[in-house]
Amino acid sequence: MDKTIEELHEMLKNGSVSSQELVNEAIKKSHEIQEKYNAFVTILDDAKETKVTDNLLSGIPFGIKDNYSTKDILSTGSSNTLKDYVPFYTATAVQNLLDAGAIPVNKTVLDEFGMGGTGTTGHTGIVKNPWDSTRMTAGSSAGSACAVAAGVYPYALGSDTGDSIRKPAAFCGIVGYKPTYGMISRYGLFPFASSLDHCGVLTRSVADAAIVTDTMKGIDEHDMTSWDSSDIHLYESLNREVKGKKLCYIKELCDIESYENPTDELKLHLENFKKSLEICSSLGIEIEAVSVDKKLLDALPSVYVAISCAEATSNMSNLTGIIFGPRGEGKNVMEMMMDHRTKGFSPLIKRRFVIGSYILQKENQERYFKNAQRVRRLLVDTWKKLFETYDAVILPVGSGPAKHLDGSKDILTKDTAALEEHLQIGNFGGFPSITIPSGFINKLPVALNITGNCYDDANILNIAYAMESKMPYKNQIAKEVNHE
Amino acid sequence: MSKFTSELVDDLAAKLLIGLSHEENEMVLDEFAIIDENLSKVEDFENIKNIEPMTHCLDDFTFTLREDVASESIPIDEALKNCGKTEGREVEVPKVVGGEN
Repeated sequence: MDKTIEELHEMLKNGSVSSQELVNEAIKKSHEIQEKYNAFVTILDDAKETKVTDNLLSGIPFGIKDNYSTKDILSTGSSNTLKDYVPFYTATAVQNLLDAGAIPVNKTVLDEFGMGGTGTTGHTGIVKNPWDSTRMTAGSSAGSACAVAAGVYPYALGSDTGDSIRKPAAFCGIVGYKPTYGMISRYGLFPFASSLDHCGVLTRSVADAAIVTDTMKGIDEHDMTSWDSSDIHLYESLNREVKGKKLCYIKELCDIESYENPTDELKLHLENFKKSLEICSSLGIEIEAVSVDKKLLDALPSVYVAISCAEATSNMSNLTGIIFGPRGEGKNVMEMMMDHRTKGFSPLIKRRFVIGSYILQKENQERYFKNAQRVRRLLVDTWKKLFETYDAVILPVGSGPAKHLDGSKDILTKDTAALEEHLQIGNFGGFPSITIPSGFINKLPVALNITGNCYDDANILNIAYAMESKMPYKNQIAKEVNHE
Repeated sequence: MSKFTSELVDDLAAKLLIGLSHEENEMVLDEFAIIDENLSKVEDFENIKNIEPMTHCLDDFTFTLREDVASESIPIDEALKNCGKTEGREVEVPKVVGGEN
Protein backbone atom coordinates (compact mmCIF):
# COMPACT_ATOMS: atom_id res chain seq x y z
CA MET A 1 0.00 0.00 0.00
CA ASP A 2 3.04 2.28 -0.20
CA LYS A 3 2.58 2.51 -3.96
CA THR A 4 0.81 5.12 -6.09
CA ILE A 5 -2.60 4.42 -7.59
CA GLU A 6 -1.05 3.96 -11.04
CA GLU A 7 1.43 1.41 -9.68
CA LEU A 8 -1.22 -0.51 -7.72
CA HIS A 9 -3.49 -0.59 -10.77
CA GLU A 10 -0.70 -2.01 -12.89
CA MET A 11 0.01 -4.67 -10.26
CA LEU A 12 -3.67 -5.60 -10.10
CA LYS A 13 -3.86 -5.81 -13.85
CA ASN A 14 -0.79 -8.01 -14.25
CA GLY A 15 -1.85 -10.28 -11.41
CA SER A 16 1.12 -9.66 -9.11
CA VAL A 17 -1.34 -8.74 -6.36
CA SER A 18 -5.07 -9.27 -5.86
CA SER A 19 -7.67 -6.78 -4.70
CA GLN A 20 -8.36 -8.93 -1.62
CA GLU A 21 -4.67 -8.92 -0.73
CA LEU A 22 -4.64 -5.13 -0.88
CA VAL A 23 -7.77 -4.98 1.29
CA ASN A 24 -6.24 -7.37 3.83
CA GLU A 25 -3.04 -5.36 3.95
CA ALA A 26 -4.93 -2.06 4.39
CA ILE A 27 -7.02 -3.49 7.24
CA LYS A 28 -3.97 -4.97 8.99
CA LYS A 29 -2.15 -1.67 8.64
CA SER A 30 -5.24 0.22 9.88
CA HIS A 31 -5.13 -1.70 13.16
CA GLU A 32 -1.41 -1.00 13.58
CA ILE A 33 -1.89 2.70 12.89
CA GLN A 34 -4.93 2.89 15.16
CA GLU A 35 -2.85 1.49 17.99
CA LYS A 36 -0.09 4.06 17.48
CA TYR A 37 -1.86 7.21 16.28
CA ASN A 38 -5.63 6.82 16.83
CA ALA A 39 -6.57 7.75 13.25
CA PHE A 40 -9.88 5.87 12.89
CA VAL A 41 -13.41 5.93 14.23
CA THR A 42 -14.27 2.68 12.45
CA ILE A 43 -12.21 -0.01 10.73
CA LEU A 44 -14.25 -2.04 8.24
CA ASP A 45 -12.85 -5.50 8.93
CA ASP A 46 -15.35 -7.14 6.58
CA ALA A 47 -14.34 -5.04 3.54
CA LYS A 48 -14.26 -7.19 0.40
CA GLU A 49 -12.37 -7.13 -2.88
CA THR A 50 -13.95 -5.70 -6.02
CA LYS A 51 -13.52 -6.59 -9.67
CA VAL A 52 -10.52 -4.95 -11.28
CA THR A 53 -11.57 -2.99 -14.35
CA ASP A 54 -9.91 -0.35 -16.51
CA ASN A 55 -10.85 2.24 -13.88
CA LEU A 56 -7.66 3.13 -12.04
CA LEU A 57 -9.40 3.06 -8.65
CA SER A 58 -11.01 -0.36 -9.01
CA GLY A 59 -9.89 -2.94 -6.49
CA ILE A 60 -7.93 -0.41 -4.41
CA PRO A 61 -8.72 0.45 -0.75
CA PHE A 62 -9.24 4.00 0.53
CA GLY A 63 -10.35 5.88 3.65
CA ILE A 64 -13.35 8.14 4.26
CA LYS A 65 -13.42 11.08 6.66
CA ASP A 66 -16.16 10.40 9.18
CA ASN A 67 -18.24 13.41 8.18
CA TYR A 68 -19.24 11.76 4.90
CA SER A 69 -22.51 9.82 5.10
CA THR A 70 -22.00 6.14 4.35
CA LYS A 71 -25.07 3.91 4.14
CA ASP A 72 -25.18 1.28 6.88
CA ILE A 73 -21.75 2.36 8.17
CA LEU A 74 -21.33 4.38 11.37
CA SER A 75 -20.81 8.07 10.51
CA THR A 76 -20.18 10.20 13.58
CA GLY A 77 -18.64 13.48 12.47
CA SER A 78 -16.33 12.66 15.40
CA SER A 79 -19.03 14.01 17.72
CA ASN A 80 -20.71 12.47 20.73
CA THR A 81 -23.96 13.94 19.39
CA LEU A 82 -23.81 11.38 16.56
CA LYS A 83 -21.79 8.64 18.25
CA ASP A 84 -24.20 5.89 17.11
CA TYR A 85 -25.53 7.46 13.90
CA VAL A 86 -25.79 5.10 10.91
CA PRO A 87 -26.93 6.88 7.73
CA PHE A 88 -29.44 5.35 5.33
CA TYR A 89 -27.81 6.92 2.30
CA THR A 90 -24.32 7.46 0.91
CA ALA A 91 -22.71 10.78 0.02
CA THR A 92 -22.52 11.34 -3.73
CA ALA A 93 -18.72 11.73 -3.74
CA VAL A 94 -18.34 8.40 -1.95
CA GLN A 95 -20.93 6.71 -4.17
CA ASN A 96 -19.02 7.82 -7.26
CA LEU A 97 -15.92 6.07 -5.89
CA LEU A 98 -17.89 2.93 -4.99
CA ASP A 99 -19.32 2.86 -8.50
CA ALA A 100 -15.75 2.91 -9.82
CA GLY A 101 -14.90 -0.18 -7.75
CA ALA A 102 -12.96 1.58 -4.97
CA ILE A 103 -13.08 -0.13 -1.55
CA PRO A 104 -13.52 1.80 1.71
CA VAL A 105 -11.65 0.17 4.60
CA ASN A 106 -12.10 2.72 7.37
CA LYS A 107 -13.73 5.96 8.54
CA THR A 108 -11.20 8.52 9.76
CA VAL A 109 -11.18 10.81 12.79
CA LEU A 110 -11.72 14.55 12.37
CA ASP A 111 -11.97 17.56 14.62
CA GLU A 112 -15.59 17.51 15.75
CA PHE A 113 -17.73 18.30 12.67
CA GLY A 114 -14.63 19.75 11.01
CA MET A 115 -14.68 22.73 13.35
CA GLY A 116 -11.08 22.66 14.44
CA GLY A 117 -7.57 22.68 13.06
CA THR A 118 -5.62 20.47 15.43
CA GLY A 119 -6.89 16.89 15.18
CA THR A 120 -7.41 16.95 18.94
CA THR A 121 -11.18 17.47 19.34
CA GLY A 122 -12.68 14.29 17.90
CA HIS A 123 -14.86 12.32 20.32
CA THR A 124 -12.55 9.29 20.09
CA GLY A 125 -9.47 11.26 21.09
CA ILE A 126 -6.37 12.93 19.71
CA VAL A 127 -4.85 11.90 16.37
CA LYS A 128 -1.06 11.82 16.54
CA ASN A 129 1.33 12.75 13.76
CA PRO A 130 2.98 9.67 12.19
CA TRP A 131 6.26 11.59 11.76
CA ASP A 132 6.36 12.47 15.47
CA SER A 133 3.68 11.25 17.85
CA THR A 134 4.33 14.18 20.20
CA ARG A 135 3.04 16.53 17.49
CA MET A 136 -0.39 17.22 16.08
CA THR A 137 -1.49 16.26 12.59
CA ALA A 138 -3.48 19.49 12.27
CA GLY A 139 -7.06 19.16 11.19
CA SER A 140 -9.73 18.75 10.64
CA SER A 141 -8.96 15.87 8.20
CA ALA A 142 -6.55 14.50 10.81
CA GLY A 143 -7.14 10.74 10.53
CA SER A 144 -7.14 10.86 6.73
CA ALA A 145 -3.80 12.70 6.67
CA CYS A 146 -2.27 10.37 9.25
CA ALA A 147 -3.41 7.21 7.45
CA VAL A 148 -2.29 8.27 3.98
CA ALA A 149 1.08 9.45 5.32
CA ALA A 150 1.53 6.17 7.22
CA GLY A 151 0.88 4.12 4.08
CA VAL A 152 -2.47 2.52 4.95
CA TYR A 153 -3.70 3.22 1.41
CA PRO A 154 -2.90 5.69 -1.37
CA TYR A 155 -5.74 8.12 -0.64
CA ALA A 156 -8.43 9.20 1.78
CA LEU A 157 -11.27 11.67 1.51
CA GLY A 158 -11.19 14.98 3.33
CA SER A 159 -13.28 18.09 3.59
CA ASP A 160 -11.98 21.65 3.73
CA THR A 161 -13.80 24.68 5.17
CA GLY A 162 -10.73 26.78 6.11
CA ASP A 163 -7.69 24.61 5.41
CA SER A 164 -8.84 21.24 6.73
CA ILE A 165 -7.35 19.20 3.89
CA ARG A 166 -4.38 21.35 3.02
CA LYS A 167 -2.96 22.03 6.52
CA PRO A 168 -2.93 18.41 7.78
CA ALA A 169 -1.50 17.32 4.42
CA ALA A 170 1.35 19.78 5.01
CA PHE A 171 2.00 18.60 8.57
CA CYS A 172 1.97 14.95 7.47
CA GLY A 173 4.18 15.35 4.38
CA ILE A 174 1.57 14.47 1.75
CA VAL A 175 -0.57 16.12 -0.94
CA GLY A 176 -3.87 17.81 -0.07
CA TYR A 177 -6.18 19.13 -2.78
CA LYS A 178 -9.51 20.89 -2.67
CA PRO A 179 -10.92 21.62 -6.10
CA THR A 180 -13.04 24.59 -7.14
CA TYR A 181 -16.19 24.97 -5.00
CA GLY A 182 -18.96 22.76 -6.32
CA MET A 183 -16.79 20.57 -8.55
CA ILE A 184 -17.46 17.75 -6.09
CA SER A 185 -21.00 17.41 -4.73
CA ARG A 186 -21.41 18.12 -1.02
CA TYR A 187 -24.54 15.95 -0.79
CA GLY A 188 -24.03 13.69 2.19
CA LEU A 189 -21.17 15.70 3.66
CA PHE A 190 -22.12 16.89 7.15
CA PRO A 191 -22.37 20.67 6.73
CA PHE A 192 -20.17 22.97 8.80
CA ALA A 193 -20.23 26.33 6.96
CA SER A 194 -22.00 25.72 3.68
CA SER A 195 -20.61 28.70 1.77
CA LEU A 196 -17.06 27.57 2.57
CA ASP A 197 -17.31 23.75 2.68
CA HIS A 198 -15.41 21.83 -0.01
CA CYS A 199 -14.91 18.11 -0.59
CA GLY A 200 -11.44 16.96 -1.57
CA VAL A 201 -8.74 14.37 -1.19
CA LEU A 202 -5.46 13.61 0.55
CA THR A 203 -2.91 11.57 -1.42
CA ARG A 204 0.84 11.06 -1.69
CA SER A 205 1.16 12.38 -5.24
CA VAL A 206 -0.40 15.02 -7.46
CA ALA A 207 -1.35 12.45 -10.10
CA ASP A 208 -3.24 10.44 -7.48
CA ALA A 209 -5.13 13.58 -6.41
CA ALA A 210 -6.12 14.13 -10.04
CA ILE A 211 -7.21 10.51 -10.51
CA VAL A 212 -9.39 10.47 -7.40
CA THR A 213 -10.97 13.86 -8.06
CA ASP A 214 -11.81 12.88 -11.64
CA THR A 215 -13.96 10.12 -10.15
CA MET A 216 -15.42 12.02 -7.18
CA LYS A 217 -16.54 15.07 -9.16
CA GLY A 218 -19.62 15.75 -11.24
CA ILE A 219 -22.88 17.67 -11.22
CA ASP A 220 -25.41 16.29 -8.76
CA GLU A 221 -29.12 16.99 -8.62
CA HIS A 222 -28.89 16.78 -4.83
CA ASP A 223 -26.42 19.70 -4.57
CA MET A 224 -27.57 22.84 -6.34
CA THR A 225 -24.08 24.37 -6.04
CA SER A 226 -22.47 21.56 -8.02
CA TRP A 227 -21.68 22.19 -11.68
CA ASP A 228 -20.96 20.22 -14.83
CA SER A 229 -17.22 19.52 -15.04
CA SER A 230 -17.45 16.75 -17.64
CA ASP A 231 -15.08 18.67 -19.94
CA ILE A 232 -12.39 18.77 -17.23
CA HIS A 233 -10.05 15.76 -17.18
CA LEU A 234 -7.50 16.42 -14.48
CA TYR A 235 -5.37 13.29 -14.82
CA GLU A 236 -5.22 13.46 -18.62
CA SER A 237 -4.23 17.13 -18.39
CA LEU A 238 -1.03 16.47 -16.43
CA ASN A 239 1.91 17.07 -18.76
CA ARG A 240 4.45 19.20 -16.83
CA GLU A 241 4.38 21.81 -19.60
CA VAL A 242 4.67 24.84 -17.36
CA LYS A 243 7.26 26.96 -19.11
CA GLY A 244 6.02 30.54 -19.30
CA LYS A 245 3.52 30.17 -16.45
CA LYS A 246 3.47 33.03 -13.97
CA LEU A 247 3.19 32.72 -10.21
CA CYS A 248 3.26 35.33 -7.49
CA TYR A 249 3.82 35.28 -3.76
CA ILE A 250 2.75 37.79 -1.12
CA LYS A 251 5.67 39.77 0.25
CA GLU A 252 3.93 40.58 3.53
CA LEU A 253 3.61 36.85 4.27
CA CYS A 254 6.88 35.52 2.91
CA ASP A 255 9.54 38.06 3.86
CA ILE A 256 11.20 37.34 7.20
CA GLU A 257 11.40 41.10 7.82
CA SER A 258 7.61 41.11 8.18
CA TYR A 259 7.95 39.32 11.54
CA GLU A 260 9.17 41.02 14.70
CA ASN A 261 10.45 37.97 16.56
CA PRO A 262 10.60 35.11 14.08
CA THR A 263 11.28 31.64 15.47
CA ASP A 264 14.06 29.53 14.05
CA GLU A 265 11.41 27.25 12.54
CA LEU A 266 9.80 30.20 10.76
CA LYS A 267 13.15 31.33 9.38
CA LEU A 268 13.92 27.84 8.09
CA HIS A 269 10.40 27.52 6.69
CA LEU A 270 10.64 30.72 4.69
CA GLU A 271 14.12 29.75 3.49
CA ASN A 272 12.66 26.43 2.33
CA PHE A 273 9.93 28.33 0.50
CA LYS A 274 12.45 30.53 -1.30
CA LYS A 275 14.28 27.38 -2.44
CA SER A 276 10.97 26.08 -3.81
CA LEU A 277 10.68 29.26 -5.84
CA GLU A 278 14.07 28.50 -7.36
CA ILE A 279 12.64 25.15 -8.49
CA CYS A 280 9.82 27.04 -10.18
CA SER A 281 12.35 29.21 -11.98
CA SER A 282 14.26 26.15 -13.12
CA LEU A 283 11.03 24.92 -14.73
CA GLY A 284 10.68 28.15 -16.67
CA ILE A 285 7.97 29.53 -14.41
CA GLU A 286 8.12 33.28 -13.79
CA ILE A 287 7.91 34.30 -10.15
CA GLU A 288 7.08 37.76 -8.88
CA ALA A 289 6.54 39.20 -5.42
CA VAL A 290 3.39 41.23 -4.95
CA SER A 291 2.14 43.35 -2.09
CA VAL A 292 -1.26 43.06 -0.41
CA ASP A 293 -2.71 45.49 2.14
CA LYS A 294 -1.53 44.18 5.54
CA LYS A 295 -4.73 45.41 7.18
CA LEU A 296 -6.70 43.13 4.89
CA LEU A 297 -4.48 40.15 5.68
CA ASP A 298 -4.66 40.83 9.42
CA ALA A 299 -8.46 40.82 9.30
CA LEU A 300 -8.51 37.39 7.65
CA PRO A 301 -8.62 35.07 10.70
CA SER A 302 -11.45 36.96 12.39
CA VAL A 303 -13.43 37.20 9.18
CA TYR A 304 -13.18 33.44 8.83
CA VAL A 305 -14.25 32.78 12.40
CA ALA A 306 -17.18 35.21 12.11
CA ILE A 307 -18.55 33.69 8.89
CA SER A 308 -17.88 30.05 9.75
CA CYS A 309 -19.29 30.30 13.30
CA ALA A 310 -22.43 32.06 12.07
CA GLU A 311 -23.09 29.44 9.40
CA ALA A 312 -22.25 26.56 11.75
CA THR A 313 -24.63 27.80 14.42
CA SER A 314 -27.44 27.64 11.92
CA ASN A 315 -26.39 24.36 10.27
CA MET A 316 -26.10 22.44 13.53
CA SER A 317 -29.36 23.51 15.11
CA ASN A 318 -30.82 20.19 13.92
CA LEU A 319 -28.63 18.26 16.34
CA THR A 320 -31.15 17.76 19.12
CA GLY A 321 -31.00 14.05 19.95
CA ILE A 322 -34.74 13.78 19.30
CA ILE A 323 -34.98 12.50 15.72
CA PHE A 324 -31.46 11.08 15.60
CA GLY A 325 -28.50 10.91 17.98
CA PRO A 326 -28.53 9.74 21.59
CA ARG A 327 -31.49 11.02 23.61
CA GLY A 328 -30.73 13.50 26.37
CA GLU A 329 -32.31 13.26 29.79
CA GLY A 330 -35.08 15.60 30.91
CA LYS A 331 -38.73 15.79 31.74
CA ASN A 332 -39.63 17.71 28.61
CA VAL A 333 -38.34 18.11 25.05
CA MET A 334 -36.42 21.32 25.77
CA GLU A 335 -34.56 19.78 28.70
CA MET A 336 -33.80 16.69 26.65
CA MET A 337 -32.33 18.76 23.82
CA MET A 338 -30.33 20.89 26.27
CA ASP A 339 -28.89 17.80 27.93
CA HIS A 340 -28.04 16.23 24.56
CA ARG A 341 -26.27 19.32 23.27
CA THR A 342 -24.51 20.22 26.51
CA LYS A 343 -23.07 16.74 26.98
CA GLY A 344 -22.57 16.05 23.28
CA PHE A 345 -20.63 19.06 22.00
CA SER A 346 -16.99 19.71 22.89
CA PRO A 347 -16.05 23.06 24.51
CA LEU A 348 -14.60 24.31 21.22
CA ILE A 349 -17.84 23.76 19.35
CA LYS A 350 -19.94 25.30 22.09
CA ARG A 351 -18.06 28.54 22.19
CA ARG A 352 -18.07 28.83 18.43
CA PHE A 353 -21.84 28.39 18.42
CA VAL A 354 -22.25 31.17 20.99
CA ILE A 355 -20.04 33.51 18.99
CA GLY A 356 -21.96 32.64 15.83
CA SER A 357 -25.26 33.27 17.54
CA TYR A 358 -24.14 36.67 18.85
CA ILE A 359 -22.91 37.68 15.41
CA LEU A 360 -26.27 36.73 13.91
CA GLN A 361 -28.34 38.77 16.39
CA LYS A 362 -30.18 41.40 14.38
CA GLU A 363 -28.48 44.31 16.14
CA ASN A 364 -24.99 42.82 15.55
CA GLN A 365 -25.28 41.58 11.99
CA GLU A 366 -24.11 44.77 10.31
CA ARG A 367 -21.00 45.22 12.45
CA TYR A 368 -19.85 41.60 12.49
CA PHE A 369 -21.49 39.29 9.95
CA LYS A 370 -21.99 41.70 7.05
CA ASN A 371 -18.61 43.39 7.58
CA ALA A 372 -16.95 39.99 7.63
CA GLN A 373 -18.70 39.15 4.36
CA ARG A 374 -17.56 42.50 2.92
CA VAL A 375 -13.92 41.78 3.81
CA ARG A 376 -14.39 38.32 2.30
CA ARG A 377 -15.26 40.04 -0.98
CA LEU A 378 -12.30 42.42 -0.71
CA LEU A 379 -9.91 39.51 -0.20
CA VAL A 380 -11.45 37.46 -3.01
CA ASP A 381 -11.40 40.44 -5.38
CA THR A 382 -7.74 41.03 -4.50
CA TRP A 383 -6.88 37.43 -5.36
CA LYS A 384 -9.02 37.52 -8.54
CA LYS A 385 -7.12 40.61 -9.60
CA LEU A 386 -3.87 38.68 -9.13
CA PHE A 387 -5.26 35.87 -11.28
CA GLU A 388 -5.65 38.35 -14.16
CA THR A 389 -1.84 38.49 -14.30
CA TYR A 390 -0.72 35.26 -12.66
CA ASP A 391 -1.69 31.62 -13.07
CA ALA A 392 -1.59 31.12 -9.33
CA VAL A 393 -0.49 32.40 -5.94
CA ILE A 394 2.24 30.28 -4.33
CA LEU A 395 2.76 30.49 -0.56
CA PRO A 396 4.22 28.50 2.31
CA VAL A 397 1.73 26.54 4.42
CA GLY A 398 1.68 27.69 8.04
CA SER A 399 4.69 28.96 9.94
CA GLY A 400 6.67 25.73 10.06
CA PRO A 401 6.21 22.01 10.72
CA ALA A 402 3.55 20.38 12.91
CA LYS A 403 2.99 21.97 16.32
CA HIS A 404 3.54 20.13 19.60
CA LEU A 405 0.39 18.54 20.99
CA ASP A 406 0.93 20.02 24.42
CA GLY A 407 0.87 23.50 22.88
CA SER A 408 -2.47 22.94 21.20
CA LYS A 409 -5.22 25.27 22.29
CA ASP A 410 -7.09 25.81 19.01
CA ILE A 411 -8.19 29.22 20.14
CA LEU A 412 -7.93 32.39 18.09
CA THR A 413 -5.19 34.40 19.75
CA LYS A 414 -3.90 37.89 19.08
CA ASP A 415 -0.69 36.59 17.56
CA THR A 416 -2.47 34.34 15.09
CA ALA A 417 -0.63 35.31 11.93
CA ALA A 418 -2.13 35.67 8.48
CA LEU A 419 0.64 33.27 7.47
CA GLU A 420 -1.11 30.52 9.43
CA GLU A 421 -4.54 31.28 8.02
CA HIS A 422 -4.12 32.45 4.42
CA LEU A 423 -5.41 29.16 3.01
CA GLN A 424 -8.88 30.32 4.10
CA ILE A 425 -8.89 32.70 1.13
CA GLY A 426 -9.19 29.61 -1.06
CA ASN A 427 -12.46 28.85 0.72
CA PHE A 428 -13.72 32.44 0.58
CA GLY A 429 -13.35 32.44 -3.20
CA GLY A 430 -13.92 28.74 -3.90
CA PHE A 431 -10.47 28.64 -5.52
CA PRO A 432 -8.76 25.36 -6.46
CA SER A 433 -5.90 24.90 -4.04
CA ILE A 434 -3.26 22.22 -3.58
CA THR A 435 -0.60 21.65 -0.93
CA ILE A 436 2.51 19.62 -1.76
CA PRO A 437 5.47 18.68 0.44
CA SER A 438 8.47 20.98 -0.04
CA GLY A 439 11.05 19.69 2.42
CA PHE A 440 11.89 19.10 6.06
CA ILE A 441 12.68 21.15 9.13
CA ASN A 442 14.17 19.17 12.02
CA LYS A 443 13.16 15.96 10.18
CA LEU A 444 9.52 17.08 10.04
CA PRO A 445 7.74 17.82 6.76
CA VAL A 446 6.80 21.30 5.59
CA ALA A 447 4.83 22.28 2.51
CA LEU A 448 3.88 24.91 -0.01
CA ASN A 449 0.50 25.73 -1.47
CA ILE A 450 -0.58 26.69 -4.97
CA THR A 451 -3.97 28.40 -5.36
CA GLY A 452 -5.49 29.49 -8.65
CA ASN A 453 -8.67 30.91 -10.10
CA CYS A 454 -12.00 29.09 -10.08
CA TYR A 455 -12.36 26.37 -12.75
CA ASP A 456 -8.60 26.48 -13.46
CA ASP A 457 -7.98 23.24 -11.57
CA ALA A 458 -6.13 21.49 -14.39
CA ASN A 459 -3.61 24.33 -14.62
CA ILE A 460 -3.05 24.40 -10.86
CA LEU A 461 -2.54 20.65 -10.63
CA ASN A 462 -0.17 20.72 -13.57
CA ILE A 463 2.04 23.33 -11.94
CA ALA A 464 2.08 21.26 -8.74
CA TYR A 465 2.80 18.14 -10.81
CA ALA A 466 5.80 19.79 -12.45
CA MET A 467 7.17 21.05 -9.12
CA GLU A 468 6.66 17.67 -7.47
CA SER A 469 8.77 16.05 -10.20
CA LYS A 470 11.73 18.24 -9.21
CA MET A 471 11.56 17.39 -5.51
CA PRO A 472 12.20 14.02 -3.79
CA TYR A 473 8.98 13.91 -1.74
CA LYS A 474 6.51 12.23 -4.08
CA ASN A 475 4.80 9.23 -2.48
CA GLN A 476 6.85 9.49 0.72
CA ILE A 477 5.78 7.38 3.72
CA ALA A 478 6.09 8.82 7.23
CA LYS A 479 9.14 7.74 9.21
CA GLU A 480 8.80 8.55 12.88
CA VAL A 481 11.62 10.73 14.23
CA ASN A 482 13.72 9.36 17.05
CA HIS A 483 13.66 11.53 20.18
CA GLU A 484 16.52 9.73 21.89
CA MET B 1 -25.51 46.75 19.80
CA SER B 2 -25.67 44.62 22.92
CA LYS B 3 -22.46 44.44 24.97
CA PHE B 4 -20.83 41.04 25.03
CA THR B 5 -20.84 40.13 28.71
CA SER B 6 -20.67 36.94 30.73
CA GLU B 7 -24.42 37.17 31.33
CA LEU B 8 -25.11 37.61 27.63
CA VAL B 9 -22.91 34.60 26.83
CA ASP B 10 -24.98 32.47 29.21
CA ASP B 11 -28.20 33.86 27.75
CA LEU B 12 -27.13 33.08 24.18
CA ALA B 13 -25.99 29.62 25.23
CA ALA B 14 -29.36 28.97 26.84
CA LYS B 15 -31.15 30.02 23.65
CA LEU B 16 -28.90 27.62 21.73
CA LEU B 17 -29.84 24.92 24.25
CA ILE B 18 -26.23 24.59 25.36
CA GLY B 19 -25.01 24.67 28.94
CA LEU B 20 -21.62 26.33 29.49
CA SER B 21 -19.22 25.88 32.39
CA HIS B 22 -17.63 28.98 33.95
CA GLU B 23 -14.37 28.20 32.12
CA GLU B 24 -16.16 27.81 28.79
CA ASN B 25 -17.92 31.12 29.34
CA GLU B 26 -14.59 32.86 29.95
CA MET B 27 -13.07 31.28 26.84
CA VAL B 28 -15.92 32.64 24.72
CA LEU B 29 -15.30 36.14 26.08
CA ASP B 30 -11.54 35.90 25.44
CA GLU B 31 -11.94 34.63 21.91
CA PHE B 32 -14.63 37.13 21.05
CA ALA B 33 -12.52 40.04 22.32
CA ILE B 34 -10.01 39.33 19.56
CA ILE B 35 -12.69 39.04 16.88
CA ASP B 36 -14.26 42.28 18.08
CA GLU B 37 -10.92 44.08 18.01
CA ASN B 38 -10.08 42.86 14.52
CA LEU B 39 -13.49 43.53 13.04
CA SER B 40 -13.51 47.00 14.63
CA LYS B 41 -10.56 47.82 12.40
CA VAL B 42 -12.61 46.73 9.40
CA GLU B 43 -14.91 49.69 9.96
CA ASP B 44 -11.97 51.95 9.08
CA PHE B 45 -11.64 50.40 5.63
CA GLU B 46 -12.44 52.92 2.94
CA ASN B 47 -16.02 52.68 1.65
CA ILE B 48 -16.54 49.40 3.49
CA LYS B 49 -20.28 50.02 3.71
CA ASN B 50 -20.53 50.29 -0.07
CA ILE B 51 -19.17 46.80 -0.61
CA GLU B 52 -21.71 44.09 -1.32
CA PRO B 53 -21.40 41.36 1.33
CA MET B 54 -20.12 38.12 -0.23
CA THR B 55 -22.38 35.23 0.74
CA HIS B 56 -21.26 32.50 -1.67
CA CYS B 57 -18.05 31.41 -3.39
CA LEU B 58 -19.40 31.45 -6.92
CA ASP B 59 -21.62 34.12 -8.40
CA ASP B 60 -21.95 32.48 -11.81
CA PHE B 61 -23.58 29.15 -11.17
CA THR B 62 -26.93 28.37 -12.66
CA PHE B 63 -29.33 25.77 -11.51
CA THR B 64 -32.58 24.77 -13.09
CA LEU B 65 -35.28 23.87 -10.62
CA ARG B 66 -36.88 20.52 -11.32
CA GLU B 67 -40.53 20.20 -12.16
CA ASP B 68 -42.82 20.49 -9.15
CA VAL B 69 -43.70 16.83 -9.19
CA ALA B 70 -43.59 14.56 -6.18
CA SER B 71 -40.63 12.20 -6.28
CA GLU B 72 -39.32 9.44 -4.09
CA SER B 73 -38.69 10.61 -0.54
CA ILE B 74 -37.04 9.18 2.54
CA PRO B 75 -38.39 5.77 3.58
CA ILE B 76 -39.91 6.42 7.02
CA ASP B 77 -38.73 3.15 8.56
CA GLU B 78 -35.14 3.88 7.52
CA ALA B 79 -35.31 7.47 8.72
CA LEU B 80 -36.47 6.31 12.13
CA LYS B 81 -33.64 3.82 12.59
CA ASN B 82 -31.50 6.45 14.32
CA CYS B 83 -34.30 7.71 16.53
CA GLY B 84 -34.08 6.89 20.24
CA LYS B 85 -37.80 6.34 20.75
CA THR B 86 -40.51 5.68 18.18
CA GLU B 87 -44.09 4.55 18.05
CA GLY B 88 -45.09 3.09 14.72
CA ARG B 89 -44.18 5.62 12.06
CA GLU B 90 -43.73 8.49 14.53
CA VAL B 91 -41.07 9.95 16.81
CA GLU B 92 -42.07 9.65 20.44
CA VAL B 93 -41.40 12.53 22.85
CA PRO B 94 -42.79 13.59 26.24
CA LYS B 95 -46.19 15.24 25.99
CA VAL B 96 -45.78 18.85 24.81
CA VAL B 97 -49.29 20.28 24.79
CA GLY B 98 -50.64 20.25 28.32
CA GLY B 99 -47.54 18.45 29.53
CA GLU B 100 -45.05 19.50 32.19
CA ASN B 101 -42.88 22.41 31.04
